Amino acid sequence: MAKQLITLTVNGDEHELAVAPYQTLLEVLRDELGLIGTKRGCTAGSCGVCTVNGEKGEAVLSCCALAVEWHGRSVTTVEGVQEGTELHPLQKMFLEHGAVQCGFCTPGLIMSAKALLDVNTSPTEQDINEAMAGAICRCTGHIKVKVAIREAAKLLRARELQTNEAAAGAAGVNNGAR
Amino acid sequence: MQLPEFEYLRPKTLAEGLAALAEHGPDAQIMSGGSDLLINMKFRLDTPKFLVSFNDVAELKAVESLPDGGMSIGAGCTLTQLADSEALKEKYPALHAAVFSVGSKHVRNAATLGGNICLDTRCWYTNQSESWRETRDGCFKTDTELCHVIKGADKCHAINSSDSAPVLMVLGAVVVLASAQGEREVPMLEFYNNDGVDHTALKSSEFLARVVLPKPTGRSVYAKLAQRDGLDFASGTFAAGITGSNEQPESVCLVMGSVGPEPKVLHESAEIIMNQGLNDATIEAAALAARGSLGEVTNLFTPSGYKRRLVKALVKDALNELREQGN
Repeated sequence: MAKQLITLTVNGDEHELAVAPYQTLLEVLRDELGLIGTKRGCTAGSCGVCTVNGEKGEAVLSCCALAVEWHGRSVTTVEGVQEGTELHPLQKMFLEHGAVQCGFCTPGLIMSAKALLDVNTSPTEQDINEAMAGAICRCTGHIKVKVAIREAAKLLRARELQTNEAAAGAAGVNNGAR
Repeated sequence: MQLPEFEYLRPKTLAEGLAALAEHGPDAQIMSGGSDLLINMKFRLDTPKFLVSFNDVAELKAVESLPDGGMSIGAGCTLTQLADSEALKEKYPALHAAVFSVGSKHVRNAATLGGNICLDTRCWYTNQSESWRETRDGCFKTDTELCHVIKGADKCHAINSSDSAPVLMVLGAVVVLASAQGEREVPMLEFYNNDGVDHTALKSSEFLARVVLPKPTGRSVYAKLAQRDGLDFASGTFAAGITGSNEQPESVCLVMGSVGPEPKVLHESAEIIMNQGLNDATIEAAALAARGSLGEVTNLFTPSGYKRRLVKALVKDALNELREQGN
């Protein structure tokens, strides 16, 4: 079957790839680009370990997406979550609170949680449950995962506050000058 | 699991897509979100020669308020888009609840309303891997005139699990089916067939383009029970709509989903409420009638005895909620 040329931006890097129509986004990320942080689980849309983030930061099941459909679009995988040399607050809190057992589901959990925290840094219990319902950990319960998400949300809120204050401070200086 | 090979077509306009469907007919399969279809393809339940993706057709993603107070929803609207729609939540809360109950956030981000309406029927024999199925003869759904879940059945009894279908039927929605020859409108109440293999009115050259909802005239509720809340097909769904007051209803429509190849309109239960209003006694009687009207076959993912109890409970809870709305 004829391959098609697609342009796919992954974690900010643009790739030109020849893919067969039946290749999933997951297969291209793992097998063509070697980004094996995104895991291959049930491959039937049930477990969520293959979750990546789309252009709007939304959670995407890469096992149920055709790579050709992603031509010209961009995705973020767990490899692109860290901020420079620092881990993302979610990653830090997953480590700090031991929200990892065997670790296989962790990339999917991080990407699912990031999809939530990117649009909502003050999630309620229900918001977290809804966002994480499609991402399953089979080792253990989700209690520590939820603790890590809440703590990461706190860090992100604190960061927002700082940014806002800095902006307000800058505005204040301007007012003073006027 | 890997996908089977197919040729991928990506029309830029609806007309182009309809021409492709007209040309390839039964060899073509329509894809939008792919959240159900691609999985069925991995299980080799669908092995289309051509996969026609309608994701580039912008007009299919529009939600419009109509001058008559109704609403038109493009088939390509994702369920997340609809779950986030304040207008939908305000005007058709039962439909909003149904849409929100589908799968997980991950699934709703990809899945579309059109896909949910056309969702293929499911059964515990067929919806397995190819090698699992090979251990027995085929069935109506694959290639043989046999049903493994109901011995001696003369048709396929796979279950219609669409969460939106029962509500759309209660709301009096109409679907617009487009083909290269033009458009035709089919009321949702007439859209499904009681046959798991050929379960919708869609012809192979047709595409479900949009859903037209009439102006909301009464109250409606939606209830769903699944083995777990997030990401599961329903064990049973129920939608109820009423116009007029609890004491003197002007019209009543009750539809049960996930119990057979088509959502079941509960005529007997509706009549009880229509004649005697919504009260403790009629709710009990309607729930009992609903349980009785299921027939010998119920959902095959759960035992039929469980299903009958579930139906009664679902109908009762939902009708109580409907009554409270009217107080």
